[in-house]
Amino acid sequence: MQALDIKTIVPISPVAHAQPRDSAKWDVVNNMEIAVEFANADIEQARKKVLGVTDVSCFERYGVKGPQASQWLADHELAIPSNPNSWTRCDQKTLVLRLGSSEFLVEDQLGGLASKKLANNTSRIAGVYKVPRADAAFILSGREVLNLFSELCSLDLRATSLLANDVIMTQVAGVSAIVLRQTINGEPVYRLWCDGTYGPYMWEVLIEIATELGGGAVGLASYQN
Amino acid sequence: MSLRTPKQAGEWINRNKKISFSFEGEAFSAFEGDTISSALWAAEQKVLGRSFKYHRPRGVLSLANHDVNVMLTDGMDTNMRGDVVEIKDGMSLYEVNTSGGVKKDKNSYIDSISPLLPVGFYYKAFHTPRRLFPFWEGVIRRAAGLGIVNFNYPRILKRKQHSHCDLLVVGAGPTGLSAAYVAAKAGLEVTLIDENRHAGGSLGYNRAGDEAAVAQLDDLLSKVASQPNITVRTGAYAAGYYPDHLIPIVEAGGITKVRAKTVIVASGAFEQPPVFRYNDLPGVMLGSAAQRLIYRYGVRPFSNGIVVTANDYGYRVAIDLLEAGTKVAAVVDLRPGANGGAQAAELTHRGIKIYAGHCVYEALASSGKSGVRGAVICAYDDKENVALTDNKFTLECDGIAMSAGWAPAGALLYQAGTGMQFDYGVEQFVPNRLPEGLFAAGKVNGIFDLDQRMRDGARAANDALSYLGLQAPHNSIEQHVGNSPSHAYPMVPHPKGKNFVDFDEDIQIKDFVNAAKEGFDNIELMKRFTTVGMGPSQGKHSNMNAIRILAKIRGLPVEKIGTTTSRPFFHPTPIGHLGGRGFHSHRLTSLHDWHQANGAVFTDVGAWKRAAYYPTTGQTKEDAIQREALAVRKTAGIIDSSSFGKIEVHGADAALFLERFFTGSFADQSVGSCRYAMLLDESGVVVDDGIASRLAEDLFYISMGTSNAAAVYREMQRAQQEWQLTIGLVNVTGAYGAINLAGPSAREILSSLTDVDLAYEAFPNSSVREGIVAGVQARIIRVTFVSDMAYELHVPMAQVPHVWNALMSTGKKHGLRPFGTDTQRLLRLEMGNHMPGIDTDGLTNPFEICAEWAIKMSKPYFIGQRSLTILEKRPLRKQLVSFVLATNFNGEMPMDCNLVIDGGEIIGRVTSIGYSKFIDRCIGFAYVTPSKKEVGSEFQIRTDGGSLVTATVVKAPFLKNQKGA
Repeated sequence: MQALDIKTIVPISPVAHAQPRDSAKWDVVNNMEIAVEFANADIEQARKKVLGVTDVSCFERYGVKGPQASQWLADHELAIPSNPNSWTRCDQKTLVLRLGSSEFLVEDQLGGLASKKLANNTSRIAGVYKVPRADAAFILSGREVLNLFSELCSLDLRATSLLANDVIMTQVAGVSAIVLRQTINGEPVYRLWCDGTYGPYMWEVLIEIATELGGGAVGLASYQN
Repeated sequence: MSLRTPKQAGEWINRNKKISFSFEGEAFSAFEGDTISSALWAAEQKVLGRSFKYHRPRGVLSLANHDVNVMLTDGMDTNMRGDVVEIKDGMSLYEVNTSGGVKKDKNSYIDSISPLLPVGFYYKAFHTPRRLFPFWEGVIRRAAGLGIVNFNYPRILKRKQHSHCDLLVVGAGPTGLSAAYVAAKAGLEVTLIDENRHAGGSLGYNRAGDEAAVAQLDDLLSKVASQPNITVRTGAYAAGYYPDHLIPIVEAGGITKVRAKTVIVASGAFEQPPVFRYNDLPGVMLGSAAQRLIYRYGVRPFSNGIVVTANDYGYRVAIDLLEAGTKVAAVVDLRPGANGGAQAAELTHRGIKIYAGHCVYEALASSGKSGVRGAVICAYDDKENVALTDNKFTLECDGIAMSAGWAPAGALLYQAGTGMQFDYGVEQFVPNRLPEGLFAAGKVNGIFDLDQRMRDGARAANDALSYLGLQAPHNSIEQHVGNSPSHAYPMVPHPKGKNFVDFDEDIQIKDFVNAAKEGFDNIELMKRFTTVGMGPSQGKHSNMNAIRILAKIRGLPVEKIGTTTSRPFFHPTPIGHLGGRGFHSHRLTSLHDWHQANGAVFTDVGAWKRAAYYPTTGQTKEDAIQREALAVRKTAGIIDSSSFGKIEVHGADAALFLERFFTGSFADQSVGSCRYAMLLDESGVVVDDGIASRLAEDLFYISMGTSNAAAVYREMQRAQQEWQLTIGLVNVTGAYGAINLAGPSAREILSSLTDVDLAYEAFPNSSVREGIVAGVQARIIRVTFVSDMAYELHVPMAQVPHVWNALMSTGKKHGLRPFGTDTQRLLRLEMGNHMPGIDTDGLTNPFEICAEWAIKMSKPYFIGQRSLTILEKRPLRKQLVSFVLATNFNGEMPMDCNLVIDGGEIIGRVTSIGYSKFIDRCIGFAYVTPSKKEVGSEFQIRTDGGSLVTATVVKAPFLKNQKGA
C-alpha cells in the first residue's frame, strides 16, 4: 500500500470551478484553497459597498441533528438558539444556526475553533447524528443586496421583515439555501449557504447579477483583516 | 394641418421638445410624450391600421390599449401598441397587418367578400371535404397572426423580481389614490400601480370642461407624494391574481411578483362601444378616447363631430369637445326623455342639438372608408332595441364620439375567486363576495360618481386596515344614485350588418345570432365559435356587449348568461418577460474540472452534469463508448459516480424503517453486508432502487440512482413524519462523492492504495467495508452493477479528486481508463441489470421486471405491499425480457422505445438496446407479452425506418462471471 497522508490533501473550494484560476489570487485557508483576491483592494472595497460577493466556503462547519443534538452541543459549551430557524453567536467567532427543532449548523468565522473541536469527537452517540457539511458559502454585502435577492428569492428578506437572528431556509435561484443577516466588522451583510455541488452555479448567478448592479466578486482577504 | 389644441392643463406632452419620426415611409413630427397614435392623429393621419380579418381601415378607438386597431413594427419590435407606446425620435414605423401599406392594403378586398367568411369559418373549413384541408391550411396560415417574428431580435434581459408590501392598490385613479393615501396615513406600506404612464386615471381627462378636476388631481397626487411609505409604479399592469395575494406586475423592464398582505382592486372600467353599422370607421371613437386625446396629448379628435351616447357620460364628452375647439353637430342619445343633467342643460344653452330617443343608424364612410363624412340618425326604440328608420336623416360630420357604458376591469377579482352579481342599477357585474383580504373600490365596484369613488377608495382602505387588525372605521359601500352609467343594450341592428362588437376579430351582431342558431348559445361555446374576446384585446371592449347580445338572443337576464373564464395573464405579455433571466440550476461533482480537462462530453442526469464518454481526437461517440467498455471488461475502468443519491439512516429503528420503506428484508442484514433495495409507490409501481449497506446495527448507508435521489429522500422524510420511528435521516448526496472502479484489474489497483483486505473471502460481493483509501476515510462497497469485479468508493466530496488521481496514477500501468454514463449504460446492459426510469415506466410493477426475488411479501408492511397482493393474483400483461439480435446483424439498428411486433400486433417496446463489442452482439431489454417471455422465443422490432428486425429472447446476464470475482 502506498503511504499517503490526509494532511497533505488540500481540497479546493466547491465554487472554484466558476472562478478565474489565473486572474484571482488564491490561498489556503482552513486547509481549503480559496480565492482571496479578485481585484485590487480599492475595486473590491467599491464592490463591497454596492454588491460584493465573497466565497467563504472555507469556513469550518459542523452539522448535527437528532433528538439529543441540542444537549450534545450544550455539553460542548455551545450556545443554543432557543427557537428553530434562528441563530446565535458563540464566543464571537462561531455561529450556531438552529435549522429545525433538532438540527444545527455550526460555523466558525475566521479564527473560530468550535467546529474543529466538535469534529474531533468521533464517537457515535444515540440520538446524535452527524451531518457532513460540504457547503458553498457566501457573504453578500452592499446596498444592492436586496435588489439581488429580489430576483433570486421569493421571500421578504428586508431588515424590517426579519428578526435580527432569523434563519431563513428557502430557495435561492431555484436551489435550497440558508440565508441570514449578520454584521461583520460593523457592516451588515447577508450570508448564504447552499450545497457545494450547486456552488459554481450559484456563484455564476450571483456574479452575473452583482455585475449588472455595479458590484462583483470580492476576495476573502477583504474579510481577513 | 394639425389638430393640436392650445396647451391643456395637465397634458402629458412636452411642447418644447419636437421629435421626428416616419410612418409608412412618410415623415411626421410630434412632441415628446406623444404616443404613436396621438402623434399621427394630431397630424390628421386617421387610418392608423387595418383590421385583422377584413382589413378594414381603422383609427383610434380607445386610445388606452383596450383595442388593437393600431399595431406597428419599428423593424425590430413587432405588435407595438400605438395607443400607449411613446413615440421616440427617429422611429420608422409600419403597420403590421397590411399588404402594400396601410392606405392601399391589397387585402382590403376581403371586406367585400366577407359574406363568404361566416362565423366559425375556421372550424367549417376543416369539417369537410377533407381533400381541401391542405388548401385551407395554406390560406389560414397566410392570413393568421399579426406581425412577423424577428428572429434577429436581441436577447434583452427582463428581470423577474419579487416585492412585498402591506397593501397593493391596483389602479391609481381617484379611487386608488384615495385608498393608498388613507392606508399609508395609517402606517401601511403601500404599493400603488397603474398601467398608464402617469397616475390620475379618468380624473386627468374626464372634465366636462371644468378645470377644477386638474386641481383635484394635483391635490390627490400631492397627498400621495407626501407619504414616503407609498411606492407608485406607473406604466405597470397587474397581470393576474395568484393565491395568497401574489400579483405579477408587468413593466417595460420586467415583471415584479408582488406579495401583498392585502389588495385593493381599483382598476376602473373599460368603456364599451355602442354597436351600429360602420362604428369602426377611423374617426369613430370612444368618448373617453376623445377626452384622452384632448387632455393628455392636446389633440382635437375631429373638427365637426357628433356624440352618440346611451348614458350621461356622453354629455360630459360633448362639453370637452367644445372646450377643445371641436364643433359638435349634435348629441344623439339612445335613451328617450331628458337625460344628461347639468351637462345637458349647458349643451342646450350652448346651442347644441340633443336628439333623445335617437341612434346613429350608420356612420357614413368617406372615400376608401378612410374616415367619416356623416351619420344617419333615426329614432330608436329603447325597449325593443330597434331603429325606427321612417324619419331618418343625415348629419354631416368628420367624427363620432361614442359613450354607451362600461365593463368592470375585474379580471383580478374573477381570478381571485370573487363572486360577482349583476347590478341593474349600474347595468354591470359587481363584486358580491370577495375573498379574504381582497377589496374592490370605485368603478369596478359599481361606483361612478367622483366623490363617491374617492370615498369608496377610503372605505376600502379602512376595510384593509381592519383586515390587518388595525383600528379603522367601517363604512358601507354607497349605492349609485341617478341614471345608470351603462346602457342595457346599446345595439342598433342594421340589415347590412358591419355593426362591430369585437374590433379585434371583426365580429358583428349577426355572427352571434348565427352562432346561436348553430347551437353555440353558451357563453363559453359562443366565445370559441365566434372568437369574441380571443384577440389581443382579450375582450376588454367586446365581452360585455357579447354577453348582452347572447342574453337577448336567449331571452335570459344577463346574470344567467354569466361571464367567460378570466385567466392570468389578462393582458398579452411578451415572452421575453415571461422568460426572465432563465435560471438553469445544475450540480457539478468535484471532478468536473478533471472531466473537462480530459475531453469529456457531458450529459444532464437529473440536476447533474455528468461525463457521458471521453472521445479522443477524431473518435466517434460509438467508438469511444466501446473502447471504454472494453477497458472495463479487459483491464479496468473508473467512473465518477458522485451524483448518486446517498442517504444515511441512523437510529435504533433504522432497519425497521427500511423494512417498511423498501420491498426487501433488512432486519436480519448483517453489519458489513449490502442488500438490494427496491422502492415502490402505494400502487405497486417501481419508483427507484439502490443498495442498502449496513455500517452498524443502527446505521444504514443507502446509495441509489442520480435522478430520483431528491424525491426519494423527500419520500423518506414524509414516511418518517407518519411513522415516527426512532431514526434520523441524513442526506449526504452532496457531501460524499463516489468512484466506481471496475474490471479485472480493479482489485489489484485498489489494493495498492488501501490496507482493507480485498480478498474475495474477506470482502465478497454485496459487502461494505470502511477504511482508508489513498489516505482518505472511505466506504467501500462491492457492487456488481457494471462488472462483477467492482468497488464503489464513497469519500468526502472535496477529497474525491485526490482519490481519483491516486487511482488513475496507480492504474495507469494496468490500462485504467475513465468511462462515462453512456458507457455505464452499455456495461450494465451486458450485466443484465435494468434501470428504473429507463427499463421501467410510471406503470411498471416488480412482477413485470421479474423482481419477485427482491420482495418479501411476508413482512407486516411495506410501501406498495397491499397493491402487490392484488397485482400478484392478476395475469401479467407484459414482461421485461433480455434479447439478442442475430449474430453479425448489420441492418438498421433498432433504437430505445422502438415497438415490439408479433404477427402484426404491437406487443411491447424496446427499453434498452446497444451493440456490445465485447460480446460482439446487439443486446437489449424489451417488454413483450408473457407468451413471448420464454428463452428462445422470437419477436420483431420495428425500426425508425420501418423495417422489422428479428430478436430472440435469451437469459441474462449476457456475460459469464469473471473468474475470482
